[in-house]
Amino acid sequence: MERQLDFLVDKVLEQLEKKLGEMGSGSAKSQASGASHAGIAAAGEQTAAQEASNRQTANQPTGTEALASASAAAASTAFSQAHSGEGAGLNASTEPERISQVPNPKYREGMQELLASTPARIGVWRAGVRPLTKTMLQLRRDHAAAVDAVYGEVSEETLKEFSLFTVETKYDNTENYLKRPDMGRIINDEGVRLLEERCQKKPQVQIVVSDGLSASAVDANLRDVLPSLYDSLQSYGLSWGTPFFVKGGRVASMDHIGEILQPEVLVMLIGERPGLVTANSMSAYMCYRPRKGMVESERTVISNIHRQGTSPVEAGAHIGTILSKMLEQKASGVKLVL
Amino acid sequence: MDEQWIQSVGIDVGTSTTKMIVSRLRLGRMSSTFSLPRYQIVERQLLYASKVHTTPLHGFDEIDADAIGAILQKEYEQAQISLGDIKSGAVIITGETASKKNAQHILHLLAERSGDFVVATAGADLEGVLAGKGSGAERRSVAIQGTIVNVDIGGGTANAACFHRGKAIATVTFHVGGRLLRLGPQGEVQYVSPNIQAWLNAKGLSITVGEVLTYERIKDFSIQMARGMLDYLSGRERQVSGLLVLGQPLKENVSVDELSISGGVGQLMSAPTPETISDVSRYGDFGPMLAWALRQEREAGTYPMQWIDPEQTVRATVIGAGMQSTEISGSTVHIKAELLPIRNVPIVKLELTEGHLGDPQQLRREVSDVYDLALRLFEKTTGSPFALAISGITYCSYSLLQTIAEELSQQYRQKFAESRTMIVVCETDMAKALGQALALRCKGQPEIICIDQVRVEYGDYIDLGEPISGSIIPVIVKTLAFDEAPQKGV
Repeated sequence: MERQLDFLVDKVLEQLEKKLGEMGSGSAKSQASGASHAGIAAAGEQTAAQEASNRQTANQPTGTEALASASAAAASTAFSQAHSGEGAGLNASTEPERISQVPNPKYREGMQELLASTPARIGVWRAGVRPLTKTMLQLRRDHAAAVDAVYGEVSEETLKEFSLFTVETKYDNTENYLKRPDMGRIINDEGVRLLEERCQKKPQVQIVVSDGLSASAVDANLRDVLPSLYDSLQSYGLSWGTPFFVKGGRVASMDHIGEILQPEVLVMLIGERPGLVTANSMSAYMCYRPRKGMVESERTVISNIHRQGTSPVEAGAHIGTILSKMLEQKASGVKLVL
Repeated sequence: MDEQWIQSVGIDVGTSTTKMIVSRLRLGRMSSTFSLPRYQIVERQLLYASKVHTTPLHGFDEIDADAIGAILQKEYEQAQISLGDIKSGAVIITGETASKKNAQHILHLLAERSGDFVVATAGADLEGVLAGKGSGAERRSVAIQGTIVNVDIGGGTANAACFHRGKAIATVTFHVGGRLLRLGPQGEVQYVSPNIQAWLNAKGLSITVGEVLTYERIKDFSIQMARGMLDYLSGRERQVSGLLVLGQPLKENVSVDELSISGGVGQLMSAPTPETISDVSRYGDFGPMLAWALRQEREAGTYPMQWIDPEQTVRATVIGAGMQSTEISGSTVHIKAELLPIRNVPIVKLELTEGHLGDPQQLRREVSDVYDLALRLFEKTTGSPFALAISGITYCSYSLLQTIAEELSQQYRQKFAESRTMIVVCETDMAKALGQALALRCKGQPEIICIDQVRVEYGDYIDLGEPISGSIIPVIVKTLAFDEAPQKGV
């Protein structure tokens, strides 16, 4: 919650700075209409914002009251942006080309080679002993994207596109999900009922998709990973059961699902803990005959699936190979010979 | 599999000498267990190097196949290696020998007698690149900022290869070598290569078979030839020195910062100065004097290049052929083991741009153009007429993959209906997904081989070996030319 608050406060301040800057130069009227366009703010708040800006034009500089209401309007803007779905996630993945900030490097070509070799923040130069504003803003933007990924939700379109129905774990809400990993490992009663009702029992391959710690990872990669995985299974002549989506899932929820559906092998495509390089990284956890009491060493994983990491289509194709080997060797994790 | 060794052989049959080496290459897993497997050749060890044999010839223009066979058999025995253990490598016939009349026959004979997947090849460009790798020039180019050229001077030709940041960027071959002028013990001329006549005329020099050359004349001739080659490489003068060039001239805009000289003549550069006519002709040619002339130029330092000592001299080419010729494919690939090995497949490049990737119509036209080009260039075959190298894809989504697979497979089946194997080489890591998409469409007609992480260019030929532990295949890229891409749609 503290992190979320920090994040919101940051957003608010950012918006506020922007708005104050605009007020300095622009007219109050266009400003106010801009604010009402921006959010699905409550009517009261909107009026407050308008009042505030009117008052500001009449009587500059701003008083504390005006500041407060302006920040409320900004907060609603931030809120609506954060919830506008996949737009934000996709924007983050179209990175501008990375260029060195070092003025007149002695060996420009070498600098470019180094930059191309790593996603780490190198060649960023400095202002005195501190990073450049540009670098700092990028870092904070990436951090914000990471936080967004944790608190975001997988878009309905993505799930609909692959006809995935949703079951939930006992996670209850995101705060609780973060504090109680154990609750994210158990499908709730309603979910168990849904699985029993809608899923094919004892399939050869069970595919499960889960948000885990990054909903945007699912939005960004599922479209490429999943169909490639289907193709791969088809090439190997494997059959699969009814795929579905687990909301608030942890990796080990595959054990519980294994108990319910008893597949031969199970693969879970789950959003990874976001980092500063990308917030859209996905993992594929796989195991042979998942059941309660499985140890972590029995799981096989392909991690770091995203645009700049393991190629999603290639990962999808390779998952099929791993699953077929699991079926052949009747083993997974450290016992599986790849 | 965490690591594995493969044995590799290199055989170099040159104009004047024949050498053989055996090495082993270690494949190591470069990726963590949580990622897709990725292997690389992490170590190359020299196990055995033969002594330098004189190439047995019948007369001036025929290689004595039986004698070479005998030499190799002895060397294999001495190295205590059985042919069955050798998984990769290259036989290369170099210099003027390559144009001798039975060269092709010898190549294939040797390749058959040297192990399962040994490449038989000849070609001055490849030879220069291999020598540059063997001499350490390629490795050095990664450590320096500029361009390094390695010139491998043997009996018949001098093969120059330029490297920049670990990549061979240009090659050029000269008619410069010890055996171009053969001498008796007293300086009597036994043979002058017809290939240097034009240059001799332009220089106002005249050497005829039968005449006796003085020490001074051989010295003058050597200096002229050494300077001719250096003039050309440094760009000081290319009109007359260009007459020494064999085949394609050096690409424009290549400026050379460092120079190393390998090969037999490279080795002789550190020998004592030949004082008398019998010193000069001790190998039956003017090689020692040519080496001396080059050393003079190095010491005078009049050319704007830094001279570097190569790591290998006389064995640079054979070491390059044995130790550096093999690469391995990415580990997530689409292959059919029973179709391998496949040898000598020419590369055709499909270079995709943003426009092609965004517009299926444009993509269709581009694929069609490239296939038509291949139709004109190569004969119809039931095997693989060519390997399609795809570049320009930065990120491949599933839908893009489908579009590409559809265009590639549909037109291939139409235009190359008789081909039973389609080979695709991708630059980025997408071979398994693309191979799978193609195979689902073609259903075995043709079969698909799709590999990635191998860098190839127009004019290259590739050899694909049998899989090592199921999923990785050794690949030998035979760079034959650095010319511009052939014109499309003409």
